Order: sequence, then C-alpha cells, then structure tokens
Amino acid sequence: MPQGLNVWEQVICEFPGHYARDGEQCGRKFPGPDEHVNRFDGPAWNVPKIYFADHDPIEGGSVEGRLVRMNWAIAEGDKAEAYGLFLGLARDPANRQRLKDAILFAGITDLQDTIINRGGYQNIGHKALRARALIDIADYLGWDNAHELFYTVVPDLACSPRLYGLWTEISNICRMEFPEHASIPKRSDKPLTERELDILTEAIVWGGPFDVNAAIMGFFKRGAGILDVGDAVIACFQRYLIDVLEHPNAFLHPTHALDYMNVVQSWTRHHDNPHQVKAVFMGARFMNDTIRSNANFPRDPTFTLEPRQNHRVWADGIAIGRLLPVLKEHVLAQDAPRSCALVDSYLERTNERHDLLDTITYAACHWQNDPHVMRNCASSLEEFRHNRTSRRDDIVRGFVKHQARYVKRAPTHDCYQVYVDYFKPANA
Amino acid sequence: MSNEQATLIESWRVRNAAATTLALTEEQMRRAVRDASIEELVTLIETFAPARSAGPEWTRTFEPLVERLWTWRDDETIATLAEVFRSRGMPWMAVTNALAPERGVLTRTTLRQPASARLPAFTLV
Repeated sequence: MPQGLNVWEQVICEFPGHYARDGEQCGRKFPGPDEHVNRFDGPAWNVPKIYFADHDPIEGGSVEGRLVRMNWAIAEGDKAEAYGLFLGLARDPANRQRLKDAILFAGITDLQDTIINRGGYQNIGHKALRARALIDIADYLGWDNAHELFYTVVPDLACSPRLYGLWTEISNICRMEFPEHASIPKRSDKPLTERELDILTEAIVWGGPFDVNAAIMGFFKRGAGILDVGDAVIACFQRYLIDVLEHPNAFLHPTHALDYMNVVQSWTRHHDNPHQVKAVFMGARFMNDTIRSNANFPRDPTFTLEPRQNHRVWADGIAIGRLLPVLKEHVLAQDAPRSCALVDSYLERTNERHDLLDTITYAACHWQNDPHVMRNCASSLEEFRHNRTSRRDDIVRGFVKHQARYVKRAPTHDCYQVYVDYFKPANA
Repeated sequence: MSNEQATLIESWRVRNAAATTLALTEEQMRRAVRDASIEELVTLIETFAPARSAGPEWTRTFEPLVERLWTWRDDETIATLAEVFRSRGMPWMAVTNALAPERGVLTRTTLRQPASARLPAFTLV
C-alpha cells in the first residue's frame, strides 16, 4: 500500500498522511502531541491491517457479460464480485482495452452532484483518478506484474460513498435533448468561437449548474465535437485560477475538478464509448460546483493577493534568456503575483513553451507530502499539449498560479534533496 | 440615424435607469444600515455562514456589504461586531478579519471617488 493512500485508517488516526495530519488533526489526539515528531508525516505508525482479503479471479461466461456484471457489482458496492471479475478479465490481453474503458467508465460516473455542505461524503473525482492511474501504471509495469495495483484500486471503486445523482441527471438531459448523443463526433470543424468561450467561462465561473448545462448543450446542438467542448471547459476554467482564487486552501477542490476533467479528456482521446459526451457535462458541472462551494464561504481579506499587473514592468525588464531561473525562484518562494507576471511576460514575448512548462514543473516537484501538486502538473502538461482552443496559454497561467499559491503540506524539500544528492542535476 | 446608433442610445438610457434605481436602493440601504441595532447587524452577517446562506450568489455579496458597513457605521460599532464574531472562533475568522480596523482604513481609502460621483466606489456584484 503506497504511503498516504490508506485514507480509511488515516481518518481513524492509525496511518500517516495528509488526511490524518490536516483533516483529522490526529497529532492533537490520543495518545497526545509529540513535540519532536509529527507522527502523521512520518513512516507508518501502525502496521496496516487487512480488512479485505485478496480474491481469486472469477471466470466463465462471455466477456461482454462479465464486463456488465463488473460494472453492476461496482455500482452496487459488491467489492468481491467486482474485483474477482476484473482479475478474471485482466488475465487475457485481448480483453484489456475493453477492461480499461469499463474501469474508466466506472470511475468517471461515480461523482457527487455537489460538495456544498457535504463534508466527507463525496468522491471528488478520486475514483476516476485512481482508475486512470491503474491503467497508466499497469501499462508501464506490464499487466502481469500489476496484481498489487489491482488490489489497491479495483475494490476501492466499489467502496462507499457511491454517488450517481449527477450521472443520472446528465443521462436524462442527454436522453431528452440528444437522442443521438452517441453519434456526436470527437472532433468537428466547428470548435468554439471566442464569444462561446466567453459564455462558457461566465457559466462555469459565475453561473449555476443549469447555466453550465445550457451552455454545453448549445455547443453540442450546433455541431461541436466532444473534445472541442472538453478543451474549452479546461481552458475556460483557468480564468477562475487566474483571476479569482486567492486563499491557498481554496485551490484544493477546484483543481480536483480539473484533474477529473483531465481523466475525462484522456478517456475520450483513447477510448470509444457512447457515453463520453455525458462526461464533459459532468466535468464542467464538477468545476462549477467547487467554485460555488468556495463562494459559499465569506472571503477572508487577509489572504488578498497583490495584482500580478503590479509586477509586469519588472517582469518585462528581465531578459528573456534569464527569465526562467527567476521564475523558478519565485515559484519556490510561493510568490504568486511575481510568478504570474513573469509567465504573462514570457508568453507574450516568445512562442517557446516547452522550457517554460519544464521550469514550473521542476519547481513544483520540490514539494513533498502532497500528490495533488504533482497531479496538477500532470493534468496541466497533458491538457496543454492537446488543447486546440485559442486560449491554450491560459492553462500555463493557471498552472503557475496554482504551483505558486496552493497550500503546501510540508515546508521542507527532503525528498528533493535526496534526488539532488544522488543525481546531481545541473539546475539544482 | 442608423439602427446601431439607436440601439446604443437605448442601451445608455436603460443603463441610466438601472443606475438611478441602484442609487435609490443604496440610499434605502444606507438608512437601514444606519438605523440597525447591533443584534440586527449580527443577524444579517450570520446569513453568510455556509450552512445558513441562501447560496453562493448570496455569499458573494458579503464583501459589498462589508464596504457599506465600513462606510455607513462608526468604528465603535464595527469593533463591537468584530468582537461578537471573534468570540465564535475559527469558523468566523474571515468575517472577523473583514471587520478588523486596518480593513476599515483600506476600504474607506479605496472607496473615495471624485466629487462628481454620487456614491462611493462600492462593489456592485
């Protein structure tokens, strides 16, 4: 079990990680604070217990029938049946492409309709992220070497809470408005116009759930493709990161929605599934809901950020060839206004993007104890690479704002230092 | 006169009507805030708690309200309000911070307008 992934024992203070440390404040609970060691940042405090034993593969019956049974078992919370069927299907390489599609479908459709005043009873995209991680890592390791990974991910998909309210709503909307939604193309020759991007931005950042539904419905009705709209959702969401977010803690939920949308886009890019158009609605609704959830709290003026424009003249005065090392230092200093001004300046002065993204990512990877930092890197890099909207550079602007402002779980860079000691990178 | 010009004049007329309505609304609000007791102001601010809020559209109006409190009430009243919410602890920290004296100085300074303006530079939405 990878460190930090044992969330369930973290919430009862029996395993370290950020749920235990930050959410549950376990350091203040039994057996009492330890002045010298933060037990919930360190190695495992208790040996993990086994609550769900490993299972044998379930075989027999048609592949189609087993895939359907597996998805029903996940939806009904039957971990043993879902896991056994997965193991049986995974044995035959010929089944794996359909199995990947099915496991992504299961992760993406299980998403809360709102996090507003819901506390911990939410999925917040984690099931989709884990399904995607299973596929990427199993492909890397080889599926015959990935049994422990399957054990970590597949039963979890069938754990509570399992929430299908949003999926039900979007499925009904699509049935009523687009009887032929399964035939909507992935790409069209009608990507979103500037005006349509403005409408979508307004709906996601400032509107309500039905504004989001109406905007997206309009784009599909006039012939836009699934990835055309998905790209626009990713790009328009960045305005929230760029213009609105200030409090370091407030980045957490909205960027979960960005990471979820990245899984949706990846699913659409690599698989064919008649339900993919619904997932675009779900991603946009998730983004809008997290933004509304943040807005449901009065804004704390002590976390006000200085406008990035205040530093633009300074940024423009730095030679383009010297700018990236300066950017790295300001990201590491968590100076969002200057970091954002540097990126604005760079984007306007050159078409170079690879080294810029590399610099932000390398700076971000100095931080430890929080996989959300690296997940945001992965989502931003991948979506920038594929995005075809005119506002693709906004992904870089949102990326640097996140990495220069989002709350950091640990102030030290011990893991990075180990990397420097062993690999001695030139830019350390 | 082209159709476009007629639309522009109509748009400006509608905008002026909306501004007049808003100015009258602000004047009514000013009198209501000025005459409110501490308890009534506390009750109003309490509606911005996440569990009591009518939704994000309501809570997003917290900062416009705070601007008006700093503009239309004295420091002593604001300090009393701040103490009420400070005593309630961490969940009300954002409200307490918005009512801190340094926020008042900043708010009153930034809201100053030229003499030609009828109202301070309040946030509308």
